Amino acid sequence: MFAYSLNLATLICINAVLAITLNFIIGYAGIFSVAHAIFFGVGAYTAANVALYVNGSMFVAVPIAMAAAAALSLALALPALRVRGEYFIAASLGLQVIGVTVFSEWKSATGGIGGLIGIPPANLFGRDIVDPVEFLVLAATCLALTVLVIGVLVRSSFGRNLKAIRDSESAALAAGKNVALIKTLSVVLSSSLAAVAGALYAFYLSFINVESFTLDTSVLLTAMVIIGGTGTRLGPLVGAALLMLLPGLLSYLWFLPPTEIGSIQQIIYGAAMVLLMIFRPGGIVGSRAGAR
Amino acid sequence: MLLLQLLINGIQLGALYALTAAGFSLIFGSTRVFHFAHGSAFAIAAYLFYFFYAVAGAGWPVAALAATVAAVVFGVAVDRFIYAPIQRHEGSFFTVFVASFGIAIVVQNLIGMIFGRGFVSVPTALSRSIEITPGLYVSPLAGIAILCAVAFFVGLHLFLTRTHVGFALRALAENPELVRTYGLSPRLLSSYAFALGSLLVVPSALLTSASTGLNPAVGSDIMLVSLAATIVGGVGSLRGAACAGLLLGLGQNLALWRLVSQWSDAVTFVVLFLFILFRPSGFFGRAVTS
Amino acid sequence: MTDATQAAGDVLLAIRALSKSFGGLKAVDAVSLDLRAGIITTLVGPNGAGKTTLFNMITGHIAPDAGDILWRGQSIAGEAPWRIARRGIARSFQDLRLFAHMTVEENVLTVMEPASWLWQPGGGAARRARRARTAAILQATGLADKAGVRAIDLAYAERKFLSLARIMASDARIWLLDEPASGLDRRSYDLFFGLLRREVANGVTVCIIEHNLDIVIGISDRIAFLDRGRLLADGNPRDVLADPHLAAIYFGERAA
Repeated sequence: MFAYSLNLATLICINAVLAITLNFIIGYAGIFSVAHAIFFGVGAYTAANVALYVNGSMFVAVPIAMAAAAALSLALALPALRVRGEYFIAASLGLQVIGVTVFSEWKSATGGIGGLIGIPPANLFGRDIVDPVEFLVLAATCLALTVLVIGVLVRSSFGRNLKAIRDSESAALAAGKNVALIKTLSVVLSSSLAAVAGALYAFYLSFINVESFTLDTSVLLTAMVIIGGTGTRLGPLVGAALLMLLPGLLSYLWFLPPTEIGSIQQIIYGAAMVLLMIFRPGGIVGSRAGAR
Repeated sequence: MLLLQLLINGIQLGALYALTAAGFSLIFGSTRVFHFAHGSAFAIAAYLFYFFYAVAGAGWPVAALAATVAAVVFGVAVDRFIYAPIQRHEGSFFTVFVASFGIAIVVQNLIGMIFGRGFVSVPTALSRSIEITPGLYVSPLAGIAILCAVAFFVGLHLFLTRTHVGFALRALAENPELVRTYGLSPRLLSSYAFALGSLLVVPSALLTSASTGLNPAVGSDIMLVSLAATIVGGVGSLRGAACAGLLLGLGQNLALWRLVSQWSDAVTFVVLFLFILFRPSGFFGRAVTS
Repeated sequence: MTDATQAAGDVLLAIRALSKSFGGLKAVDAVSLDLRAGIITTLVGPNGAGKTTLFNMITGHIAPDAGDILWRGQSIAGEAPWRIARRGIARSFQDLRLFAHMTVEENVLTVMEPASWLWQPGGGAARRARRARTAAILQATGLADKAGVRAIDLAYAERKFLSLARIMASDARIWLLDEPASGLDRRSYDLFFGLLRREVANGVTVCIIEHNLDIVIGISDRIAFLDRGRLLADGNPRDVLADPHLAAIYFGERAA
């Protein structure tokens, strides 16, 4: 039970980082991406490769992973700048699908469908983090840092820039805002921090494969953000915790066939998304009218 | 010879894509709703056909009718009971999209729970390929697919140009406000758009169940292709969506000439991505305001 | 952005033979107009005369088909809207386009923060100065007690004043206001134009699009009359409004 709780807590921390960073662009910049899992994956694969072949220290692997995700995020930023709304969603969908194909086929870097195994444990200051409790502390620290960074950004002038663009891009332009630069920055920031979650994930499991970075994952992350409440500080945390606890909760309901729990879980958050959009678009944490 | 085979397969697949893409484009063009659950209509029609024909043993006309009714009812119901309330509360485009996404997730998983996650297909003699010339295999389904596509497109064209509703739908695509001044209800027209758009997935759904087979993710796959075809063809242009659907079907198969099958699926999305970057208005679409 | 005071009467913004068509419709047809420093110029004309399109071209939201726009002698036609804004040209929108989910204070503050990077230059001192200036602007526009209210929750008149407050925060040399006072009650209207007159006295140049004849008479130093994309008259208010031909167009449209 204790080990199970530790595992769950660690995964909640990792997913919360992803939800917070996704909320940063969806809820504050109004950039609706369904490709977040790809940056999660890029972070994981890059950190894994660095740890395996170059240097196992987190202080080396994580920054490189962030840089890789940041570079790739420009591929997402470009359509974000040129088109809005439905076109952008289609572009991010495209990126997600292409990304999964690359992850599956680029065997030398990602191990193909089989994935990468034998990833060394996280190494901080020359010390391997193998104890699950220690890892949870590490994950929680990363979460706290993410909350801090995003929190500071949102309250700052940059956060105001983002919200201005979200609320009225033309008025933001008329106020002298370089909208293209601001959007690009927000996408780069969001993606690099998602890569941190990816690195943590790789070190935690010692094994990663493409199954963790598919459209299903992106959809789950989007559900966390939306159900928790877009554009709020607490929303993504609530959403991440809730959706990660859901499978566990469901397993307590003895009458549910265990093989179907995955599907039931998806049905629940799919239905939750529909009902929330009708009755409470602001999500659990948001106001009734929503931040949109 | 391989190339010719791929070409024929491509046209068969392209015909099916063209229909579903036209359905999505019709809905999106007239109502501006990103009906991500369009793929779910496809899945529902396909699986119901499979159930009634292959499992329950009903004749294929009955099964086809059940599938058609289900798809159309689904499309209209989603519009009336889910999109409409959201739009009444000043729901933004994203809110409607998220709801649509939620529906697609629910339907896909329900289908998976009821029918299982493996491949199922409708057994029929029509799917058996005949060797026309050495190395070239064509099944009667290919011919049926192309005939169906042509028939439905002709019917659609007649409907849109000869009937009052059809004319109004095209007007709705241009300017919803204008439609109101003619005394037509945008709400009612919206239901027509969803009914018609969902109807268009039925032939493709039935044919796919007999040829490639089904799995619960089929709705999602079809959705992504329809979306790609709508954008590449140009939003607001049914002709464009249909042509783009055909081209994507061809592209996916012809890509097999040089690429492994995993990459050939990605071809669709590379094309989509490039179009969005460099020509978001697609082939025939209106200019895109950014 | 704030320069040495322009000599009153100098041409700040010169519009030269500007044209724009949408489809087959000529929205703006070879309009030439000078906006002179230190005065209020008003653009009048029936609906669809092309006034807002003209503003959109000046501010870079639409690219002109032909013609040029000169800001202090330099061509700015076709430049990106945010660059034009940085040059000192501010505009408001007919539908306001407030930052709906941000508070009143944030709406004003964000306009004062020019850098698009992660932080603003100047450090703590500049930050305090901006906040002080925000408070002053909110005081002047009567919004000081609504500082923490979201823009979307404001009353109609308050929104109009917030739109003005944003422009005041922009530190711009020329303000292009699109129907800024439409629908205001008498008292708010007087407050609004009192504020505007004070700013003009401090060196700001203003160009207003307005429908209401009363406003046009009372407030303008110059009037430009547009109809169906063409500039029909440009000059002294009394002379322009005395023209029976223009009156016919204007009142004809009002009676319709």
